[in-house]
Amino acid sequence: MLEDPSYNSVVRWSPDGDSFVVLEKFTKTILPKHFKHSNFASFVRQLNKYDFHKVRHNEESGEAPYGRDAWEFKHPEFRADRKDQLDNIRRKAPAPRKPPPTEDAFPASQQIVVLSESLNATNVQIQTLQEQYLELDRTNRLLVAEVLSLQKMLRAQSQASNELISHLNNMEDRRRNSRHSAQSSHSSHSGTNYHQGTLGLLPDGTDEPAPELRRARDILNGVSPDSQADRELERLSMAYHQNGSPAESAGSSVMYTHAGPQATLNVVHDPFSDPRHLVYPVGQTQGIDPFHADHIHNIPYSRPLSNPNVMTETPSQITPPPGKDQGGSLWRGKKPQILLVEDDKTCARIGSKFLTNMDCSVETARDGLEAVEKINTDADRFDLIFMDIIMPNLDGVSATAMIRMVSPQIPIIAMTSNIRQEDIQTYFQFGMNDVLAKPFTRDGMVRILKKHLTRMLKDPQSAGVLNDPNDPTSAAATAGGQQTAGGPGPPTGGYANATMAAAMQAAVNQAAQAQVKYEQTPIPSPSTTASWHSPGTTMQQVQQQQQHASPQLDQGGYMNAVGSGQGVGGMVLTPGGSQRGPGPGPGQQYAGYMQAGPGPVPRLPEMGGMGGADDRPEKRQRLYGPSQGGYVG
Amino acid sequence: MPDFGDHVDNGIFSQILEMDESDHDRDFSEPLVTNFFEQAEDTFEKMDRALAARDLNELSTLGHFLKGSSATLGFNKIRDSCQVVQQYGHKLTVDGVSEPDENICLKKIAEALQTAKVDTAELEKQMKRFFGTE
Repeated sequence: MLEDPSYNSVVRWSPDGDSFVVLEKFTKTILPKHFKHSNFASFVRQLNKYDFHKVRHNEESGEAPYGRDAWEFKHPEFRADRKDQLDNIRRKAPAPRKPPPTEDAFPASQQIVVLSESLNATNVQIQTLQEQYLELDRTNRLLVAEVLSLQKMLRAQSQASNELISHLNNMEDRRRNSRHSAQSSHSSHSGTNYHQGTLGLLPDGTDEPAPELRRARDILNGVSPDSQADRELERLSMAYHQNGSPAESAGSSVMYTHAGPQATLNVVHDPFSDPRHLVYPVGQTQGIDPFHADHIHNIPYSRPLSNPNVMTETPSQITPPPGKDQGGSLWRGKKPQILLVEDDKTCARIGSKFLTNMDCSVETARDGLEAVEKINTDADRFDLIFMDIIMPNLDGVSATAMIRMVSPQIPIIAMTSNIRQEDIQTYFQFGMNDVLAKPFTRDGMVRILKKHLTRMLKDPQSAGVLNDPNDPTSAAATAGGQQTAGGPGPPTGGYANATMAAAMQAAVNQAAQAQVKYEQTPIPSPSTTASWHSPGTTMQQVQQQQQHASPQLDQGGYMNAVGSGQGVGGMVLTPGGSQRGPGPGPGQQYAGYMQAGPGPVPRLPEMGGMGGADDRPEKRQRLYGPSQGGYVG
Repeated sequence: MPDFGDHVDNGIFSQILEMDESDHDRDFSEPLVTNFFEQAEDTFEKMDRALAARDLNELSTLGHFLKGSSATLGFNKIRDSCQVVQQYGHKLTVDGVSEPDENICLKKIAEALQTAKVDTAELEKQMKRFFGTE
């Protein structure tokens, strides 16, 4: 623009080319159009900022060279012939006289305000979230507790139904036998407060109850709450309770009523004080079993046994099924959960039927893989596993080895027709606890259950238990006694013990020599149950012989077998004296072992009548009763 | 409890019958036995194929499989034949002595299979009579 002559009337270079002149016309016409300040002073100020300075003209030197109101501006770098220097013309940096602190102070403090504001907002947000979380937590607890209560109610109901069925059984039997008509008054007790006094008067178990009643019971048995979700729920609930009350030790119902408030101490609305949760005590009087396996299984395995006498306090006494089935009265509390691993459908069905008939809950797995999956899902779900050996996908021995990684304690029983001694040895080496020869029989299964689930038995004596009930290994401990009764296998717990294995091996070797090899006979003829049990008897005899030969070794094996004690490994090689078990001395104990052996099996046939025959209340009420205190250990 | 002769182990089979609701309501044993015969027929077919293919391993597995269920039901004759199939499938005699000659093994298996089929057919007839499902 400066160079364009047409604008000479507005602005132009000075003759020297080192300054430019803004003429009057610029100030009057251009400025108002293009500069918002519309005043020349502002324009000059802007120019000053770019280091243009007004060229002063001495008034005295004559009249202004460019006319009135013309302004000449000069910049050292702004020259008509030096366009390359234009880049050097810049707006000047802010005047240094303005102190920087004051300039920054305002934004900084503003920043702090903004930050603290957002912080506050976040805090509020977090608080809201926390409240929501607590609310959800409370709701969740509430729901879990609610579901548990419902489950308990359901169990109580089903137990009540069981009682009713039992009662109806009784009634029918009585009617059938046309006696004890006076007992009918008991029907008014509606199942919760049965007195077992009637039991002694009940007919013996030979009468078959009506099929409807049986079916009803089967239905009840079939709907046992054993789904995975239930377990998770229980665990959840336990976790809640444990958070709040780590000191609460007893695995009793007390835990459920007290733990809640502690856990939610700082919560204003305590969900556990919700009146709805008073459902629980109600349920308790109806025969809810606080020592239900669901709870029991949350207790460490080695917990000492609580006082068995506790159970006499329970208000609920429940009539057992009057000799309907032998198994109906086997258990004093929760039905054992059995996992039956068997690829053959026929065997699985028969096995399940036998077990169900013995009042156990049965789940089946078609192969070892499925079994391992089930155990991995919930290691504590089952009380005992029957494991076929030869199966597709994963054989029973491998499956056992895998299960042992998760669940070292659960009794695993090999079910197999391969009962050659070396096979049996393999089973034990891989962690199996016993062998049930195939084809299995009901009695064989009963024997195994009684031997390995002694702690769950209504009447542990029936399993020939010799040992201290406080011994957590009591289930295993019956092995010694039971072995005589026909178990072909060595006792429980042996798999973990090298010495035991050695003793077994010795015994087994001797047995192999002393006895016909089992599968050498073209086919073992299991025409009777007894014939399948013969290896056990043989082994026992052999062990007896062995004791003479090498008492120390045998003692070790035997001691372990009886489980008289304090851990499987500790005392194996001590022939006498050191055991703190109930057994008096090795010799005597051995005698006891011999005596106890034959006990269980001959007694088996009597089991059916047992519930009816045994009218001692402390025995009877264990059948379904809620107070399985004795079991806790 | 009828007498099935040496076909059936009465002790074992009666235990299964005891699982029924009553003698007139064989809800448990009847389908079990029926299933077994279906299973047996199926297994025999597989054995025939395995025999044609000279697949001793498969024969042994099949023999073991049917042995288990037949033994559990107390069907001794069938079980015994299955045992033979299983053993020779492992190239062993019934006494557990090694029998390296595959032809002998296959011949023994073929014989045992034939016996098993006959016994099974006979027993099935008896069972149908017993359960009244003829």
